[in-house]
Amino acid sequence: MNNRSRALPMSEEDLHALVGHRLPGGTRTIEHWENWLLTDCTGSDQLGDDLVHPVALFHVPIQGAGTSIAELFELCGARGAGSVGLDGYDWEYFAPLREGVRYQIDGSVTEVERTVSEQTGRIADRFVYTIEMIDPDGVLIARVTNHWRIRR
Amino acid sequence: MTEVKIGTKVPSWTMEHVDAQRMKTMAAILRDPYEVHWDHEAVRPLGFDRVINQGPLNLSYLANMLMAWQGASCVRRLNVRFTLPVFEGDKLIAHGTVIDLEQVAGEHRATCDVHLDRGKETVMVGTAVVALDQAVSS
Repeated sequence: MNNRSRALPMSEEDLHALVGHRLPGGTRTIEHWENWLLTDCTGSDQLGDDLVHPVALFHVPIQGAGTSIAELFELCGARGAGSVGLDGYDWEYFAPLREGVRYQIDGSVTEVERTVSEQTGRIADRFVYTIEMIDPDGVLIARVTNHWRIRR
Repeated sequence: MTEVKIGTKVPSWTMEHVDAQRMKTMAAILRDPYEVHWDHEAVRPLGFDRVINQGPLNLSYLANMLMAWQGASCVRRLNVRFTLPVFEGDKLIAHGTVIDLEQVAGEHRATCDVHLDRGKETVMVGTAVVALDQAVSS
């Protein structure tokens, strides 16, 4: 049996109104303990030299931009198991991330698209957001663009 | 060191056993409320009996492969699509092949086709750009 939850209904007009929505923004410092645990979860040896594992580019930009996965789910109407799928990530690293650096982080919703299944009539919305991380010298260090699929 | 050329195979990297306990730790770090990563009751209505690995963890295995090949600070870009869910207990192998070489601001870089496989299934595909430690020839 496949009884996945569906995201909350959202009009196409409301969906498109999300484009340009700016996340609150803020700063974020990656602590050693956090990087250690994160790296351990990946099955990698610790990297050393204060280097942060590249996978930090999922949660650090979200949290540093002053939001959370839960708030992003709420923004796009996701609700319950099976209502959100991952389409893909595009993560750019202009310099290595390091522990103990206070990054300025800002982002916004950059793209949405509604698709309707010809077979079932079910709606799935593409939800894309982009977040950038800047170091204390004003240098762009990383940019993430994440693509989610919201099943309504 | 081995010379990197177009067509060079990146040494594969294996996650022998996707661990549900690591998913729990990851969920806490991410502050991820999505219960499919840690609650078996949440995945049963979806037709699954094992919890689903976080997408970032799947991507991390590709990053681990690249870092094992060219060093811990080599990753310049990861662009991937998720094609199938990954479950606790799965064995995954990351693969890559160099498809392009370029020089950017004095740095030699390789673009690689990358994919993450579970047996004969591919669960993630994409491209990665890495900085190279070594001389290249095209």
